[in-house]
Amino acid sequence: MYTTNYNVPKESFDKLQVVALIGLMFIGAAFVYSATMANDSAALQPWYDQAWVRQIVWYVLGLGMATFVCVVDYHTLSRWADVAYWVMILFLIAVLIPKIGTTHGWGARRWIDFGAFQFQPSEFAKLAYIAAGASFLSRPVEELKQPAIFWKGIGMMMLPFVLILKEPDLGSALVLLPTGLVMMVVAGTPRRYLLQLMACVGLLGSLFVADVLFAPARWQIPMENYQRNRLLIYFGRDYKDSAPPNATPAELQRLRQRQLDDAYNVRQALISVGSGGLFGKGWRQGTQNALGYLPRAVAHNDFIFSVIAEEEGFVGSVIVLTLYAVVLFTGLRIAGQARDRLGRLMAVGVVTLIFSHVFVNIGMNIRIMPVTGVPLPLLSYGGSSVLCSLIAVGLMQNIHIHRKGY
Amino acid sequence: MLVVDELKKNDPHLRLVAVMVAVGVCILLAGLWWVQVVSVHEYQQHLETQAYRSIRLPAVRGKIVDREGRVLAENRPSYNLSLFLNDMRAPFDAAYGKLHKAALIAQKDRIAAEEKRVGHSLRKAELKNFRLTTDYLDALRQQARLGVVNDIVTQVSRNIGVPIVLDPKDFNTHYAQERALPYPILRNLTASQIARFAENMTNGCGVELDMQSARNYPNGTVAAHVLGYLQHDDSSGTGEESFYNYRLPDYKGLSGIEGQFNDDLHGRAGAESVLVNNLGYRQSANVWNKSEPGHNVVLTLDMDIQKAAEDSLRTHWGAGVRGSIVVMDVRNGDILAMVSSPSYDPNQFAQGINADKYQAFKDSGAENNRATHENYAPGSIFKTVVALAALETGLDPNRTFRVDPNPRDTAKGGIFIGRRLIRDTAPPGEYKFQRAFIHSSNSYFVTNGIRAGVENIVRIGQEFHLGERTGLFARQETGGSFPTLDRVRANDWHDGDTANMCIGQGEIAVTPVQMAVMIAAIANGGTVLFPRLVQRIEPVDEDSTEPAKDLPAGLVRDRLTVHPRSLELVREAMLADVESSEGTGTKAAVPGFRICGKTGTAQVQDGANHLTGYNFWFASFAPYENPRYSVVVMVQSAGTGSGGSVCAPIAHDIYETIVQKSQLHLPAVVGEAMYDAGRQVSGGRVSH
Repeated sequence: MYTTNYNVPKESFDKLQVVALIGLMFIGAAFVYSATMANDSAALQPWYDQAWVRQIVWYVLGLGMATFVCVVDYHTLSRWADVAYWVMILFLIAVLIPKIGTTHGWGARRWIDFGAFQFQPSEFAKLAYIAAGASFLSRPVEELKQPAIFWKGIGMMMLPFVLILKEPDLGSALVLLPTGLVMMVVAGTPRRYLLQLMACVGLLGSLFVADVLFAPARWQIPMENYQRNRLLIYFGRDYKDSAPPNATPAELQRLRQRQLDDAYNVRQALISVGSGGLFGKGWRQGTQNALGYLPRAVAHNDFIFSVIAEEEGFVGSVIVLTLYAVVLFTGLRIAGQARDRLGRLMAVGVVTLIFSHVFVNIGMNIRIMPVTGVPLPLLSYGGSSVLCSLIAVGLMQNIHIHRKGY
Repeated sequence: MLVVDELKKNDPHLRLVAVMVAVGVCILLAGLWWVQVVSVHEYQQHLETQAYRSIRLPAVRGKIVDREGRVLAENRPSYNLSLFLNDMRAPFDAAYGKLHKAALIAQKDRIAAEEKRVGHSLRKAELKNFRLTTDYLDALRQQARLGVVNDIVTQVSRNIGVPIVLDPKDFNTHYAQERALPYPILRNLTASQIARFAENMTNGCGVELDMQSARNYPNGTVAAHVLGYLQHDDSSGTGEESFYNYRLPDYKGLSGIEGQFNDDLHGRAGAESVLVNNLGYRQSANVWNKSEPGHNVVLTLDMDIQKAAEDSLRTHWGAGVRGSIVVMDVRNGDILAMVSSPSYDPNQFAQGINADKYQAFKDSGAENNRATHENYAPGSIFKTVVALAALETGLDPNRTFRVDPNPRDTAKGGIFIGRRLIRDTAPPGEYKFQRAFIHSSNSYFVTNGIRAGVENIVRIGQEFHLGERTGLFARQETGGSFPTLDRVRANDWHDGDTANMCIGQGEIAVTPVQMAVMIAAIANGGTVLFPRLVQRIEPVDEDSTEPAKDLPAGLVRDRLTVHPRSLELVREAMLADVESSEGTGTKAAVPGFRICGKTGTAQVQDGANHLTGYNFWFASFAPYENPRYSVVVMVQSAGTGSGGSVCAPIAHDIYETIVQKSQLHLPAVVGEAMYDAGRQVSGGRVSH
């Protein structure tokens, strides 16, 4: 019996998860195509410059990296976790320096330009944090009871959080919080600490929201205008309320127009999703994107779900959600079967990270979350996001391959 | 399922995460269900309002043709030069880019100058004053668009050699409100302009020919009052979608056949929905409701006779003369010609008439159709009715009657009714019925009319339905006036009133169409017909399965209760009026065609009983042996003359045309046509 254990090839992958991933990548390529080919000038570009082709290239590259991550035992990888973490912290600092980080013409400084491609360190930083955090938290439960260890763990989470917030990228920063918290819970951090932490986060969160909504200008947290506006829109604030009491009708009209402009993306995303109905309009038949109501710049990345939902309807939405659910629950199964606490924490971290992305992104399409630049894993166009998602999944598969009993 | 099995294990932490994930997925599912399934209509509505514009497409208006299919009103393509704004987005953007760049440079210069002035680089708050506002940028965009459009318009103007003025305000309004529609810069291009445009401007600069259907009356003023006129009106008809974002030009008939048969001619408008993009430019169009063309209206008019009548009236008395002519088929009531002068050109209404021209139209007296819409004292042509009444009450046509001389003018006759003298144009002497008729002796007819009794005259007049509308037009017809029996039995009715009536004056006014019907009844042996102007309403498409709608011919309105002998005596007298050397209507005579007629002259008085002019009449029918045409000519004039000198020559021209026309056709065909036409008289066929 023992001999067979060594000679019979190990059950390699979690096949169900792999099938779901392939499904998601297929949908991703198809709808990045649909979202970009509606634009005449995009369709006229040479094939190798087209977004959907690039997306497939990223898939292939990502799969290669995932395979690489799979074959090396995660224990070996985790030895490099701290290195990766600090390298990423360096990148996050570097991206804030004007000459190194680029803004891509947007307000936020999120990218580092390497000529041929741009690199978004915040995506990789999340991954590095999971690896390093898991390795840090995988120490014996007794040690977690020491306040110093607890605060160190908090510090590890807060460092990238603050740096990413500074870019600013509120969404990416915020998804770090549930990831870190869930890892701490699963690691067995004493309930007392956790409750204190939750109370703390809750308090800070409500103070933040109260500040955005009600504070007079002098007391406001420094924040980009567009960020504040997005939050105001999300909380349903009427811009007119902020008008001075002696505002002229023209000024009120201008405020109203500005509110409409600021709420534009959300409104158009909602119209896209809502008008899709039960069965959708069919692949490449969506008008919201083709006519440019859904802004072209975001249709294929942050708002790719709107395109899918409009063209494939509620049925398509359910399929996408089901595929994500399969990935998430197989991920949790992998966590349950993990050989040790390190594997278990890593898998839980990855599951929480993917879940947070999915929830925030789809949630913003149907207005239950504010608009942030959080990509939808594997579906949104973008190299960094695709690579990170696939490496993260590779990590889970790695844990699965080296699970209990093998 | 394995996933669930795993979670059943006693692993509270993982279970917590699993529950969290499951709850999250369920929240998303519920949200999506709410948005995509429950609220789907709301969002589809939003999508439609923002992405679709509906356009009303008018139907092609039906044609109006004469009895032989010759076109009186049709539609011709009208070409406009239009700017297709969606093709001009690139030049708009380029021009804006240039302006924007210049604005940025100017902004930089201003900041530099300010920094020089204050001696330090400006802080963020100070820079705010130099920011380009959205309003400013919008104005720049507008300026860029106007610049581009102006260049193109200038280029077009130079190439086709027509000065075009672009109204910036109009263009901006169009851009703001109707961006999905082409913007017309030059309307109604001539053929040579189209040719020059096609030669020079094929470089896809956004200017294209845009075709619209325009109403056209190829014969100009011919039969204008029958055709009527129309105005631009793009409102929705009954039972039609009432909301459209845009409407293309359409017409509505206001008068004449265009007005009366507007519902048939108009057709049903269609609808097009245009998909517009987020900038409001047209993306694609989809006709979701095709327009149905209107029906053609086939008139009973004969264009040859119509033109002959109009030409003759114009040649004799000028285009500005006030008069009317009606030519009717006495066997079935078909109106073959209907003239009202002065006429107008209905084309100017189709092209859009301005206030000045409209006033001129009204002032010229061309507004009403004189054949139906205005009434006149008939004068002596009413003596036909008096004659019938007298003959019916026992007048012996061979008994002589002595016309006494007028004491003030002994060469002419005259008669006293009470103390009032009624002058006579006939000289004093012995008159039998026929001679009195062709001399139109007032003394004879007043005496015999009073003898016959006014009630008998009124009764016969009522059998002709005088004082009642003939039903040709719903709104543009008057019944004229004719006393009722009650009126003539009243105490204030005196012999003087009867005497007035006997010479066709006083309380009696008729329309030319009523006279045509009256003469036709005398000619056809006593059948009073409803006149008919429209034969048929037929679908435009000849292959259409939809049947043509025939309007009944020869509808009999009444039958005269007079003895055929009386009618024959009047017909003979009318024949003599044209053929005898003593007759007043001799100028109407056409060799080889036996015409029967009666002339008339009625004095027109204003409110103060001053003579202001005359209505000259000539009422006739022909041929005597087998009556077919009744021709009534009425001319108003301030000068002197007589029905015989003013109107009979016009009748002559018309009859000549009729004779020529029947000689041109093969006799067999004419015979057959006559047989067909005669057969249509349902029950009203008259034996000759």
